[in-house]
Amino acid sequence: MKSGSSLSIDELENHFKKRLGDDVEDIKKEKIREGLKEKAIEIMWLTVKRERFRDAVNALAELHTPHLSVTSGSDMGEHIELIYHFQVNYGHPGKEVSVNLKVHLPKKDPTIPTITDIVPGALTTEREKQEFLGVQVKNIPDSRRLWLADEFPEDKYPWRWDETGMEDMSRYVHDEEDETFDKPIAKYPRKKEVEEKGKRKKSMEEKKKKKEDGDQI
Amino acid sequence: MKEKEETTYEVPIGPIHPALKEPFLIKFKLDGEEIVDAEARPGMNHRGIEFMGMHRNPMKVIPLSERICGICSIVHQHMFTTATEHALGIEPTNRARYIRTIMCELERIHSHILWAGVAAHEIGFDTHLHFTWKIREKVMDLLEYIAGNRVNYSMWTFGGVRRDITSDMYPKVFETLKYYEDLYEKLEDIFLDDPSIKMRTQDVGVLTKEDALALCGVGPTVRASGVKKDVRIDQPYAAYGDLDLDYVIPSRYGFENKGDVFSKTLVRLKELLQSIEIIKTCVEQMPEGEMTSEPKKAALFNKLEKRSGEGIGRIEAPRGEAIHYVRLVEGRSDIDCWKIRASTYNNLATYRPMFMGEQIADIPIIAACIDPCIGCMDRAEIIDVDSGEVETYTKEELHELSVKKTERIKNRGIK
Repeated sequence: MKSGSSLSIDELENHFKKRLGDDVEDIKKEKIREGLKEKAIEIMWLTVKRERFRDAVNALAELHTPHLSVTSGSDMGEHIELIYHFQVNYGHPGKEVSVNLKVHLPKKDPTIPTITDIVPGALTTEREKQEFLGVQVKNIPDSRRLWLADEFPEDKYPWRWDETGMEDMSRYVHDEEDETFDKPIAKYPRKKEVEEKGKRKKSMEEKKKKKEDGDQI
Repeated sequence: MKEKEETTYEVPIGPIHPALKEPFLIKFKLDGEEIVDAEARPGMNHRGIEFMGMHRNPMKVIPLSERICGICSIVHQHMFTTATEHALGIEPTNRARYIRTIMCELERIHSHILWAGVAAHEIGFDTHLHFTWKIREKVMDLLEYIAGNRVNYSMWTFGGVRRDITSDMYPKVFETLKYYEDLYEKLEDIFLDDPSIKMRTQDVGVLTKEDALALCGVGPTVRASGVKKDVRIDQPYAAYGDLDLDYVIPSRYGFENKGDVFSKTLVRLKELLQSIEIIKTCVEQMPEGEMTSEPKKAALFNKLEKRSGEGIGRIEAPRGEAIHYVRLVEGRSDIDCWKIRASTYNNLATYRPMFMGEQIADIPIIAACIDPCIGCMDRAEIIDVDSGEVETYTKEELHELSVKKTERIKNRGIK
């Protein structure tokens, strides 16, 4: 891209397809209209295979110095999903496109290559993902803790929903002499909650049916 | 004779000051008076708000989100609400968009004036601190008049706002704006024309354009280096798309895009004027209509529980771009994933190039120049690498060093 020009959201899509071929999936383009003039906020979501992730970031770096807002991540059960929120076309009034790059990491091998050599500003967010989600960032220049206290347990990750997650984070942020510290933690009740909800729904439906039947009689 | 490298000192500054909401630690390596390396270590008071949010339903998270920061509570409220609206396909009314814009800009005025006072205090101009904080009360009064609170306004809801700005409120709004317009020249005179302030701020804490871009810096911190990044213009949200805005960078006003503390002050002061203009236009153009598109609570709760989706909410906070990511899953009343990113998060990395080669006495003003949610120069330990001796600087002593430097500069000027 020549300096001074910007890419539209469709051109961006083609750019990714050209560089990554079939390795880029689930491209979703959104336009949100805001205000009286109804100018659109353009947002693009795409999933890229882990092996081609660095190529995808390089494809962005071809356009201009990439602006990485942040990386968000969550536990999806089987895998961990990381979303790199990039912004393209800044400096062009009304033309900025949010490019949200998704990568799926299997839980058995939650590693991802670093992008700090392409985007130096990504270090903070990469360090954060290591401590909050248990993701291993390969070749990260600085892998020390950033946000969590030094006495926070090594094998606990606040954003996980499985056995490495936690029910109550505050239990771990106080000093070790705290009595509650060593107590075994109940497994996070997410699954149970969903099940219970399903049960409640069923019983409600049954009641409704009974009532209806009663009315008919 | 000892090698030069062996005589470097390590100076941790921080992490706790009871008056501050965000304890913070910066470790400095010093060669005599000169800073040779700086490293930030946040998380001294990590509250786990994201974790808390992921165990609550979206309605309960609105008040939680505005308590992330005391100064920019509107910012986080706005981002969380818009991200959820985006995820669930709820559209706010146009009147709500205008009210949101007005509130965001009022907050920018109060945040920038507060920053100016802090910056002046750090270099020993306490009269300026008292002056700026006195005039800041006027906008706080207006915020209280509109929202009912000085901070934590509780104005946002999914689909709109909870309080209206009615036409009988306009005179008070215009009166406040007039007050700042009249004072603006004085502010510029104090901060941009004073020779001793100029000497303390010019060529201090320089952030080059290359560093600003590479480190993904945001807000006035990078605009002072000439980087055109401003979400209000790049990707206009709320009512900003209806306005005619231009990037506030020093070269627009005949200054060099140097990226030093002076440029950052200039950008923030000019943004005050821009904010006043935005509020004026918004009040004049405000469309009639409902405050919220979801007036029925039961229907709204139904949507929050029955729909799935993911969304992002971005905003140009007083300190720069900030973003929230929200994902909701059907059948689970709590939020599935919530990521908050405030402006200082990205600007942390810009500390290192700004501190390099500066003096100890410049630490307070450079630390303050990104307008961090900190300022906790509570205590500083100086560790002699050779003997392992530890000296401790209190916040006051460090502040005194900074004040003395200003006095030295002033005296030199008189001679």
